[in-house]
Amino acid sequence: MEKKLGLYICEGCSIGESLNIEKLTNIGKNALKVPVVKSHFALCGKEGIDLIKNDIQSEGVNTIVLAACSSRIKYEEFDFPGSLVERIPLRELAVWVQEEKSEMQIAAEDYIKMHVIKAQKGDIPEPYMMETVKTILVIGGGMAGMSSALQSANLGYPVVLVEKEAQLGGFVNKLYKKIPTAEYYTEPLIVDTEIDKVVKEVESHPNIKVYKSAKVEKTDGQPGAYDVTISSNGSEEVVKIGAIVLAAGWRPYDATKLDHLGYGKFKDVVTNIEFEEIARKSGNKGKITRPSDGKEAKKVAFIQCAGQRDPNHLSYCSAMCCATSLKQAKYVRQNQDAVAMILYKDIRTPGRLEFYYKEAQNDAGVMLTKGEVTGVSDAGRGNLYVEMENSLLGEKVNVEADLVVLATGVVPATLDDPILNLQYRQGLGLPDLDLYDGFADSNFICFQYETRRTGVYAAGCVRQPMNMAEAQEDAAGAALKAVQCVEHVAKGIAVHPRAWDMTYPDPFMQRCTSCKRCTEECPFGAIDEDEKGTPFFKPGRCRRCATCMGACPERIVSFKDYHVDMIGSMLKNASVPEDEDEPRIFVLCCENDAYPAVDTAALQKIKINHAVRFVQLRCLGSTNLVWIADAFSRGVDGLLLLGCKYGENYQCHFAKGSELANYRLGKVQETLDRLQLEADRVQMVQLAIDEYEKIPDIINEFVDKVKEIGPNPFKGF
Amino acid sequence: MAEKVISPDLKFVKEVIASGGGDLKKCYQCSTCTVVCNVTPDTKPFPRKEMLYAQWGMKDKLISNPDIWLCHQCSDCTAYCPRGAKPGEVLGAVRKVSIKHYSPTPLASMVGDPKFLLILLAIPVLLFLSYIVPKGYLDFSAIPRGENGAIVYAKFMPVFPNIDVTFGAAALFAVVCFAVGIMKYWKEMTVNAGLTKWGMAAKGNIFETIYKTIVEIMAHKRFQKCNVTKARSTSHLMVFYAFIGLAITTTWAIVYLYGHEFLSIPKIGIFNFGESPYPLYDPMKLLGNASALALLIGITLVILNRMKNASKAGIGSYFDWLFLFVVFMIMATGIFSEVFRLLNIAGLAYPTYFTHLVFVFFLFAYAPFSKMAHMVYRATAMVFAKHVQREEQS
Repeated sequence: MEKKLGLYICEGCSIGESLNIEKLTNIGKNALKVPVVKSHFALCGKEGIDLIKNDIQSEGVNTIVLAACSSRIKYEEFDFPGSLVERIPLRELAVWVQEEKSEMQIAAEDYIKMHVIKAQKGDIPEPYMMETVKTILVIGGGMAGMSSALQSANLGYPVVLVEKEAQLGGFVNKLYKKIPTAEYYTEPLIVDTEIDKVVKEVESHPNIKVYKSAKVEKTDGQPGAYDVTISSNGSEEVVKIGAIVLAAGWRPYDATKLDHLGYGKFKDVVTNIEFEEIARKSGNKGKITRPSDGKEAKKVAFIQCAGQRDPNHLSYCSAMCCATSLKQAKYVRQNQDAVAMILYKDIRTPGRLEFYYKEAQNDAGVMLTKGEVTGVSDAGRGNLYVEMENSLLGEKVNVEADLVVLATGVVPATLDDPILNLQYRQGLGLPDLDLYDGFADSNFICFQYETRRTGVYAAGCVRQPMNMAEAQEDAAGAALKAVQCVEHVAKGIAVHPRAWDMTYPDPFMQRCTSCKRCTEECPFGAIDEDEKGTPFFKPGRCRRCATCMGACPERIVSFKDYHVDMIGSMLKNASVPEDEDEPRIFVLCCENDAYPAVDTAALQKIKINHAVRFVQLRCLGSTNLVWIADAFSRGVDGLLLLGCKYGENYQCHFAKGSELANYRLGKVQETLDRLQLEADRVQMVQLAIDEYEKIPDIINEFVDKVKEIGPNPFKGF
Repeated sequence: MAEKVISPDLKFVKEVIASGGGDLKKCYQCSTCTVVCNVTPDTKPFPRKEMLYAQWGMKDKLISNPDIWLCHQCSDCTAYCPRGAKPGEVLGAVRKVSIKHYSPTPLASMVGDPKFLLILLAIPVLLFLSYIVPKGYLDFSAIPRGENGAIVYAKFMPVFPNIDVTFGAAALFAVVCFAVGIMKYWKEMTVNAGLTKWGMAAKGNIFETIYKTIVEIMAHKRFQKCNVTKARSTSHLMVFYAFIGLAITTTWAIVYLYGHEFLSIPKIGIFNFGESPYPLYDPMKLLGNASALALLIGITLVILNRMKNASKAGIGSYFDWLFLFVVFMIMATGIFSEVFRLLNIAGLAYPTYFTHLVFVFFLFAYAPFSKMAHMVYRATAMVFAKHVQREEQS
């Protein structure tokens, strides 16, 4: 589409008083040859918006450059569908962070030049359209899976539910009773699970198709257009799927590894799951009997954290065992003469469960104490001793019990089984789950349920250890993410986190050398390879971080409003002071964390060294090394990369971006040495979104270092 | 240290709960109580550990533990407890169970249980009725009068044998019960202390320790460390000295009566050796009346304090209130007996005096099983604690 630029300069928020607007207008008109250049005292007001809308209609302006405030605010006002919109944070970067008026003007001119050139190089986005379906596949027919299926189905989406067992219900089928979800002080503390009702609702729902004794053999394709092969009772079927809720659940930790707690050695040491089975056993009616002699157990000891929060077994807390043991203590207390003794490291009953804990504790026969259980031994008379140290009851005590229950932990189904069997170049399962002990979790702090595979949303105990009520909430969350996914891919826009983004990676394949760096580095496995090893993109899987654009040595990956040349041109078009003592430094910052931190600093009127110009990137992972040559060839003295924290507790919206940028920088030093430029002129710093106070120091330190190195020898060429 | 076997006694937990420790189970061992307590030693402080022992039904660890008596139920712990577990009340309940444990008769369970109140009252009522009914004294006009028709209680209920033998026997019974209880208590404390790290090396001799304890009790030093219920120290001190005053009065009266009877000591000036009633100017009478008044005021203050502090410190148990009620009744009936006697209103004087005797009997005979026993057990625990240097550890 033919582009027509309009540059609109806002004079509000003290921009007008601080800058020479006329000079800026003239730069737009003359130097940058923008056909429509206008200024207004408040662009975000109705009059200002109407001014722009009027130009769109009567002048045919379709590329709007707003020299006003940060793109992080007023995005609803400055929304012009069908147009390419470029925002220049003049207020923040040219006015608020600058100290001297003269510097404000130079900065404003630079930012206008950089962003107008960026807009000139961009194109108006068009959505990526393909044929999609809106069917949601739910893997796992336990509480989380069934809840997710019902949520999606009730919203009108077709659902396919795959359960590996012959019947729905999952772990709830094994339970004798459950913790009530109503008020604990009005309800009894143990109530029927009523799982049958949920199973019935799922099986009779017109929007849900259930596969039992079934398995996902293969998941091919991309969100909106998955081809999922489901095997069930010997037959296979390929189903078209839009998005997937992974609710494959958990299994208890292998108690045979807990021989130090007497499991396997004594018949009357059982796991909490086996304890449920004892209580459920037909004829028992809740009566707790001992496996060894079938006599009723009247002194039951519960060992919390059995093989949990223990570096030799599970290092984590399984979240549900404390409340479960309190519940099971109430099973014991169905006999008024029996006692339940809970031996804990800590009682963890967050939220409303605190009231459950209080209610259970109020029972005279439910006894709790803190201590370190060191072993289980024979007490004679058919009883057992639970040996405790550092307990509140004494430094070394033996708690006598006739039945010992081990609160064993939750092991996710994804620990050793990909479950999804994705036909992705990067592998069958979700990547890097060792960061989360095998759970299908992610560090997307603001985006629960999202996994590193777009279109796959995890819920329930496969994501994190949790209880039944939490699994139901999780299920609702994951179902809504799946709905978002199928709706967004149907519209041809990114799913998340750039949920508004209509652009998509559009590689110029003729120049591809099949080096496969993009397929390796894509954090989301969006790029597969054909038989010849040539990469091809699955835009439905893509999150638009542009890591591939940064990775590509041929620089062939571009988006309509974001490509290598565009950013390179920005770096080449800022002013470089002639004075050798005045360096010019670019700060490339990620738009998700580092740039918002700069915005916050500006809002607090924190002054930042005038030597720097900020360039926002979709993600630091999109940093292409050619930009370094671009900048230095024009006499820029230094380049600072501000990215998210990476490593175990990474904060990157795209999981790997800042880490990859750092990895690439490791290789650039060689190039710089060849150009006889000092390696220290390029540096990367990790910054969290709330560390805005550190920015002036980080920058000053870098500016000082660059000053020490001296001016770029290419200056003036 | 030897490994100790923990085997909870659910019955004991239920007993403590039923005895006034209703909120016992709410404790979650944060130890705020031991931090705010001003009377606990610093090592192995109470009442945190006592709360856990009570929750786990560890009877042996509790009832023979001197710490439960070192507690004066200031209720600072109860006021600051974040869970409302009322440690002060729980320790009170444990003390009640402990008293019951060491008192060797079935009366022990009866005194703490409202069900038996009428039976316990019926015993002295029937006893005293058996003295007067045969004489026809239910008709007050049949009761002989003194000079000028004055009411003389000794003619209604002769001092000897009715009063002195009855109360002498009751007192003897109480003393024997106390002696048995204390001996058992001391022995068990000794055994238990051997299991702890407190050590058994006694410093100085036991008599010196007893003397020091008495001095401490006389001054109410521990009581004054209380915060939330500070006022209790004063009212308790008043009750305490009033009781001492009344004890002296009683002894004095015995000296008057039997000094005259057996040694033929005549009236000397203001000292009226001889039979009652004694004139109001007599120093013995003055002491008696002053003590009575002090006790009435003291006990009233105790009751008012309890009601005032109820929201912070808890309202207390039946066991506590029964004791307060008995003391109050003794004082009220005692004073009114004297007033009605002096006013010569026979219709009120004899029934009031009768009631007075019933409650005095109640206090004496049931002392080893009622809260009155706290005086003996607390003193014993304090002596023991000093003896094993429990307190020096603070």
